[in-house]
Amino acid sequence: MEADKTPDCPMHEALMSYLYDEATPEEFGRVENHLAECAACKQELAAFGQVRGLLQQWQVDDLPFVRIATPGERDSRHSVLEAFRNLLSVTPAWGKAFGAVTLALLVLAVLGTEVNVGREGVSIKANLFRWNNAPQVAGRAAVGGDEARLEEIRAELKGVVNSMIADNERQQREEMRARLVSLESQIHTAREADLAKLAARIQEQRARLKSLERDIDRREGTALSDILFSEVAPDPSGRRAPERGGD
Amino acid sequence: MLVRRWERQIYGLTLRMLGRDEEAKDATQETFLSAYRNLSKFRGESKFSSWIYRIAINICNTKLRSRPKGLLSIEEQRDVNGFEIAADLDDLSDNIQQEQIAAHVKRALQGLPPEMRQVIVMKEYEGLKFVEIAEILGIPLSTVKTRMYTGLSELRKRLEHLREAV
Repeated sequence: MEADKTPDCPMHEALMSYLYDEATPEEFGRVENHLAECAACKQELAAFGQVRGLLQQWQVDDLPFVRIATPGERDSRHSVLEAFRNLLSVTPAWGKAFGAVTLALLVLAVLGTEVNVGREGVSIKANLFRWNNAPQVAGRAAVGGDEARLEEIRAELKGVVNSMIADNERQQREEMRARLVSLESQIHTAREADLAKLAARIQEQRARLKSLERDIDRREGTALSDILFSEVAPDPSGRRAPERGGD
Repeated sequence: MLVRRWERQIYGLTLRMLGRDEEAKDATQETFLSAYRNLSKFRGESKFSSWIYRIAINICNTKLRSRPKGLLSIEEQRDVNGFEIAADLDDLSDNIQQEQIAAHVKRALQGLPPEMRQVIVMKEYEGLKFVEIAEILGIPLSTVKTRMYTGLSELRKRLEHLREAV
């Protein structure tokens, strides 16, 4: 009957559940009863079945290979560096910052550097290969007898590390001493050379001074003889000039 | 591997939503990249499948919105201007017949509004339940069923000639 045409039917939601086998028993019974009475809905349901059949004709069987370049994906064709770059490219800024801080802390922890933030400010104390704190952390994980063995290994390791540090310090001291001796010798040699140059210069200056004195003496002598023995011009008044060398 | 497990489904979904192969590949890749970036936000309150489908649908919607109006891809032009359904499908080989039907189905599906299309694609091709579709789209169950009903009614009209031919 025309009044039961599907668009006006309040059944379409239940019809969908019925079509896709998702109807509750109550819905199922309701739709079955309705279909027995409503030819339009029955026809529509059949048409929907056909549409569904047609829809299934569009199958995407030949799915092309989709290259999903996820950063974490392991791919033998790409280097580790490239994978790292990919990871960085998708990592948000906070992630990069967190990673950098974590890495820095890890390095600091390995080097045994202590960073203290207090009222006095920030202090950084670098104790290379200081493992004093490590046993406390690791010790918690150790169980029973393993703990003693772990302690031995730690002590052994500590001894080796301390010995390495002592050797290193000794070597550094020796190198420093050798460098100081060498430096002192260089300074001494340079000083001797400078003094010698200075002495030679002084000697040279003295000789030059003497030469100058002699020169001056000679010139002064010439000037005196000029005064003493030069011809005197006749006096226009007719008076004779007093004779040189006279009284 | 998560990507390998889901790439077929996501590619199928994006291809049927967008109707363009290259765009669908891009959308698939973007879906996985987005999922990777936001993996920490996935709390496990919903199923992983619902979560990744939601991402894919959002990406498809964004791509559909950014499309220039009235501009058809080469594939779409071929679908629109190309062959009409053969008068006698019996004369054609099964493969060609299926290709033709698929082309018409694709065109009919692409002609639907995206909100109807996504429901039909998820139901018909991904086999999701109405409740799951409602969860993915964040809409009431009744709305999903209504969209499904309206979408099928529309497809029924658009594929009328095909139903008669078949």
